Amino acid sequence: MKHLKILMVLAMVATLVAACAPAATPTAAPTTAPTTAPAQPTTPPAVAPTTAAAQPTTPPAATGKKFTIGISNSFISSEYRTQMIQELKDVNAEYMAAGITNDLVIESADTDVPGQIQQLQNLMNKGVDAILVNPGDISGLNATLEEAVSKGIIVISVDQALNAQGVYDVGIDQYLWAKTSAEWLAQKLNGTGNIVEIEGVPGHPANVLRMSAVDDVLKNYPNIKVLGKQTGNWDEATGQQVMSNFLSAFPNLDGYWTQDGMAIGAMQAVLAANPAKFPVGVGEGRCQFLQLWNQRLQQDPNYETIAVANPPGVSPTGLRIAVNMLEGKKVDTTKLGGPSGTQFVIPIPVIVTKDNFQQVFTTDCANKPASYLLDGIMTDAEVQQFFLK
Amino acid sequence: MNNVLNRMRWQYFTLRNPYLFSLLLLVLAMLVNLFFQPDLLSRGSLNSNMRVFLPLVLVTAGQAVVILGGGIDISVGSIVSIVNAILATQLGSNASPEKIALMLGAVLLVGMAAGAINGFFISYLRLQPIITTYATSFLYAGVALFILPSPGGAVPNGISSFYRETTPLGLPLTLYVIPLILIAWYLLRQTRYGGYLYAVGGKADAAYETAVPVNAVQFSTYVISGLMAAFGGIAITLLTGSGSATIGADITLTSITAVVIGGTALRGGVGGVAGAVLGAITLGLFKNIISFANVNLWWQTFVNAAIIVVALAAPGAINLLRRTIGSRTRQHPTTGQERQA
Repeated sequence: MKHLKILMVLAMVATLVAACAPAATPTAAPTTAPTTAPAQPTTPPAVAPTTAAAQPTTPPAATGKKFTIGISNSFISSEYRTQMIQELKDVNAEYMAAGITNDLVIESADTDVPGQIQQLQNLMNKGVDAILVNPGDISGLNATLEEAVSKGIIVISVDQALNAQGVYDVGIDQYLWAKTSAEWLAQKLNGTGNIVEIEGVPGHPANVLRMSAVDDVLKNYPNIKVLGKQTGNWDEATGQQVMSNFLSAFPNLDGYWTQDGMAIGAMQAVLAANPAKFPVGVGEGRCQFLQLWNQRLQQDPNYETIAVANPPGVSPTGLRIAVNMLEGKKVDTTKLGGPSGTQFVIPIPVIVTKDNFQQVFTTDCANKPASYLLDGIMTDAEVQQFFLK
Repeated sequence: MNNVLNRMRWQYFTLRNPYLFSLLLLVLAMLVNLFFQPDLLSRGSLNSNMRVFLPLVLVTAGQAVVILGGGIDISVGSIVSIVNAILATQLGSNASPEKIALMLGAVLLVGMAAGAINGFFISYLRLQPIITTYATSFLYAGVALFILPSPGGAVPNGISSFYRETTPLGLPLTLYVIPLILIAWYLLRQTRYGGYLYAVGGKADAAYETAVPVNAVQFSTYVISGLMAAFGGIAITLLTGSGSATIGADITLTSITAVVIGGTALRGGVGGVAGAVLGAITLGLFKNIISFANVNLWWQTFVNAAIIVVALAAPGAINLLRRTIGSRTRQHPTTGQERQA
């Protein structure tokens, strides 16, 4: 009887551990080039029929082998990453329908650097042809990524430029991104006034680039005085708290510069405090912010701000680039930029000012959740600009 | 009567061999992992897995000593970060062998010093371990951030690839480190100090009355933990080849989880380092299982956590079953001591 119960407990543990078993079987398929797959020559996705004709047949494509692309993501608790994963799936579905790729192999969990190294190693072990990584660390993954490159895997870092041999980056120009809104703010203030800055995670490369852009812009406006500079850690609630503190310390603030989700928090703090002089602030490209903007417009029809999109769409664009590289197309290195010259620099898709606010708010944000980030994904035809004809 | 004897034998056995359940769990996890990933034990996979697990294994070994002694160390992750920050900033990619040796020695001292600060507060100033090390964790994290404000830095390529790629006699380098830890622990366990450790963790007052130097023993556990965290920091630096001031943040709680999965009671005095080391490896294998079993993306975190919860609860569940089965005896609810009904 005792033994029976112990066995039962063990069996329960075993079932739970094995609960994932049914889903497991497809794993083997991608790695062992599916011979049963239609023997048709690889056809390009429907969106880019013109470039397809000239496409050279590459060794892997000739065998009719479908490509498997792995995704490594180390941070899941943000709308950006959720939207990114969904778009990756959507774009990959296009290529799957065209018989070019298999299902994505996605490794996504909140994890530290060793955890992401493990993710990448598992992707290599599963035999993926390309890896798209949104790195949780600027250099800690380099050795592992270089190992993947040496195994002939195409490695693309999305949303964060890395300095690893053979690794390409796909992303927007973070410096330009911040410069756009900082320049707007300085001009809106006519080059004079007292402002505060709320920055992201100190030391994070994107934050460092952005803040240096802000500093560079403000150098040209000596009459703009930065009264305070604090971090909101890219967190909406923290941003709100920091802004509230600033507002009580400097009731006559002329303006503020901030970035990403903190802009929503800052705007809410300003709306709540409703100071006599409403400061000129910087927003962000998210529908929730546009709602606040709209709310403010009801009270003050002349209210102005700016929202520069930080598009999760760079990742699906990176997926398109990876597929094209897998198909054997040669990258036109003269088109690359970024800090180490290996970045596919994606133009910023949307900048919202008072001129196009109504249009963006009523079209891009229609039927979208408040958390939706204004976005743009390049089409397969558009990414051809990065490849040699 | 037979039941009672049986149960006593079981309890004696599990008490003498606290790592037994964790060994069972490790074997189980490995079998499930092998099922999904047949080449798990190939040289390449073994090496790539073990080099990722080793930092946690090292930190966990130190954490186990602290917990055995009745304390807890929340600051280990920050000590890892300090060590990582020092190495990445001080070595750079072209450090000479002498400098490397010097810096490795220095960071071990730094780790011990950080542990000594914890130990001083806890054993001599009698502050609560959990609060003290929680506070010092921010202190040390701040130091790490001061040393390395933005991620970067480097260590010489040679030592990084030595750590990542060396496989003496076909076995990963990291696999040689684990027996070393176990042997060191086995030897320590035999000494008088080993006995003191369990006495202090089990019942500090009673240990004090029997002339055990309670304060010194408690103090020493934090120094050991700091030292092991420094080793963990060295391993993580060699693994990544670079520095980040927040690299150790996630290790703290994972190391405590690994200690508990390894059969060491958080109240202290019961368990051992061997189980904790196995527990750390098991946690790593769980992640592999999730990956290779193709668990749906949005369920990965949940399934991983659920497995850990089951693993944590399993020994308790087994003991509960054993208790309910023995209907003719009653047990003291907390001590587990039996008395005839």
